[in-house]
Amino acid sequence: MSTSKAKRINPNRILNTTQNGIKRITLSAPEVAENIPEVKPLRTPTKPKNFYLTVTHADRGMLDDHAHQVIASAAILADKETTVVALVLGELREDIASLGADKVIVMPEFDYQVFQPDAELACVLKVIDSLQPSRIFMPDNMIGDGELGRRLIATQPSKSAATHVIEIDAKHVASYQAGGSLLAFADLPEIILLAANTAETNLPFVASAIPDEQLKSTSYTFKESNSDYKNLGMLPVASATIALEEADFIVSAGNGVSNVATLETLARSLDAAIGASRVAVDDGKFPRDKQIGASGKTVSASAYLAIGISGAVQHLQGIKDCRHVIAINRDNSAPIVKRADLTVIGDAEEIMQSLILAIAEAKQATSNQTMSNPVN
Amino acid sequence: MNIIKHITTLVSAGRHPVSGEPRHCHNDSLAMTIGLDMAKSISAKHHVLHAGNPDNKALSEYLALGAGQIDVIPISDDTDVVDCLATQLNHADLILTGSRAESGEDSSLLPYLLAEKIGIPLVVNALAIKVKANTIEVLQFLPKGKRRHVTVKLPAIIAIHPLAPASLKFSYARQISGAIKTLLVPYTSTSTSVHKTQWQTLASIRKPIKLKAPENKSGHDRMMSAISSESKGGAVVNNGNSVEKAQVILGYLREHRLINF
Ligand SMILES: Cc1cc2nc3c(=O)[nH]c(=O)nc-3n(C[C@H](O)[C@H](O)[C@H](O)COP(=O)(O)OP(=O)(O)OC[C@H]3O[C@@H](n4cnc5c(N)ncnc54)[C@H](O)[C@@H]3O)c2cc1C
Repeated sequence: MSTSKAKRINPNRILNTTQNGIKRITLSAPEVAENIPEVKPLRTPTKPKNFYLTVTHADRGMLDDHAHQVIASAAILADKETTVVALVLGELREDIASLGADKVIVMPEFDYQVFQPDAELACVLKVIDSLQPSRIFMPDNMIGDGELGRRLIATQPSKSAATHVIEIDAKHVASYQAGGSLLAFADLPEIILLAANTAETNLPFVASAIPDEQLKSTSYTFKESNSDYKNLGMLPVASATIALEEADFIVSAGNGVSNVATLETLARSLDAAIGASRVAVDDGKFPRDKQIGASGKTVSASAYLAIGISGAVQHLQGIKDCRHVIAINRDNSAPIVKRADLTVIGDAEEIMQSLILAIAEAKQATSNQTMSNPVN
Repeated sequence: MNIIKHITTLVSAGRHPVSGEPRHCHNDSLAMTIGLDMAKSISAKHHVLHAGNPDNKALSEYLALGAGQIDVIPISDDTDVVDCLATQLNHADLILTGSRAESGEDSSLLPYLLAEKIGIPLVVNALAIKVKANTIEVLQFLPKGKRRHVTVKLPAIIAIHPLAPASLKFSYARQISGAIKTLLVPYTSTSTSVHKTQWQTLASIRKPIKLKAPENKSGHDRMMSAISSESKGGAVVNNGNSVEKAQVILGYLREHRLINF
């Protein structure tokens, strides 16, 4: 028996897992698993004399998607000589190098929940004074940036500005006017307040995002004691009373929730609003106005706890704007697992019961702590 | 002793979203109703001020909503509204406006420019206002169902949020008994528009185009990104009993500051 000269192909070829977790056989590729994450080139401005400044508020240490888009659009529009400086008001605990910020100034004392427009404006003006940025980018939002941006525009009559910008490119901006009946264009102005979803945040490069301590110390602002404004604090609003679309924390039930009372207890202990999938609503467990999804409500909570929900596309459509999705499900191949930032596999009822206990213990521990040192 | 003697509400001409017909601007009407109610409760004088065409049909709707009298500064299109209004607002202790107009540039800048011009503080997104000694206490709207209390020293400008709880009452009798008074003010304002952005309008509306980073990928890369979906999926916890799993969830919520205990 003669041995064949033909090259024998290994029937059990190694699969290459791509970055997105998809298994592929690439015939031309060598037989090694190439699970190497893509390395993006580092953007380094050559002559750092020209600056683009972005000003955004952070919430609980994170910038929202809107703020991400603003920093990314500054980075996309910046040329090789321009340094993108991100001024973040409020504490920041996330890395924004992938959004293209070359330098970062974090001012943790300017939490968006505290009303101090004059101190914030003074801080921004100091940064502008020392950098002399050629353009300033801000999100046109309701958590303080839209307001701060307009206060800035009013104090800078010599700078051109545009608000509610819905389209931006290297040459121009566009915005709706006359109640949305006209689309207006203008040359790229110096101060730009961007509406949400005007830019993609997926960049082909990363930046170094170096914290700039020197700028931070020069832009430090004393709170004026004779300010015209005084912050009296947030009004406590029970989550159960606010509309689902506005809720910040939602506990949502699907077909996998058998005991509605447990879910309601859990929602109460987390001070969360209650939502439901269509099946749970159809079963009569929840009223129709609690339905989340394509034929229900679209929600934008910071935290969405999906309990016993399979995650059908019609349901996922309703939660596409949610920041943190946590799923409890018996089935680790349910589509919700792909969407969720954290999935816990197990029986919904058991985990809900344990969670209620754990929350009660945690609350007890915190209140004991505050009792023992009442200053904080 | 009450320090508020004059409250002025600024009203603009609105625009019907479908027909484009002039009408009252709902947000400005809310501000006016809040102003009228407050003036009544503290017996201050309430004024309604508009800069624009005195013959605008929208103005009579403000009369029907209780304005009583509307003072109009007649201006042509190229004069600076901020300058004109500022000259008329010297005596006002409290100035109320809406948050966003329905006509013109809609930049929501007017209250800010006015506050800067007159040199008085401004609070925006107000849902309710209350007089407290020489300050005004404002309940402010914030997204995600949050509300905030702040106070501001008088005189001040307060921009009312469109969701402010005030009910508008339309009365034809008030519409015909009310008056529109044209003010003859000599102003020497040339067009000194504060933000000198030159807008070119396009009558047809199209979908805005998103800004994207230019990419020079190889054909293979482009194909790979087209056939692979973006779904990432987070951590999956399979092991442990329910108590441990509950702790994992609690830990996640704490790590991202979604709870404060
Ligand atoms: C035109 C159209 C519009 C629709 N609009 C909507 C909409 O707006 N909103 C919406 O939600 N749906 C909508 N749907 C329905 C959608 O397709 C799904 O059928 C629905 O979302 C499924 O709900 P569910 O996940 O609760 O139930 P199921 O699909 O039955 O999933 C239940 C999940 O719970 C898990 N589970 C079961 N028991 C337990 C247990 N004891 N412990 C833990 N986990 C358990 C299961 O593993 C499963 O993943 C629409 C469908 C159509 C055709």
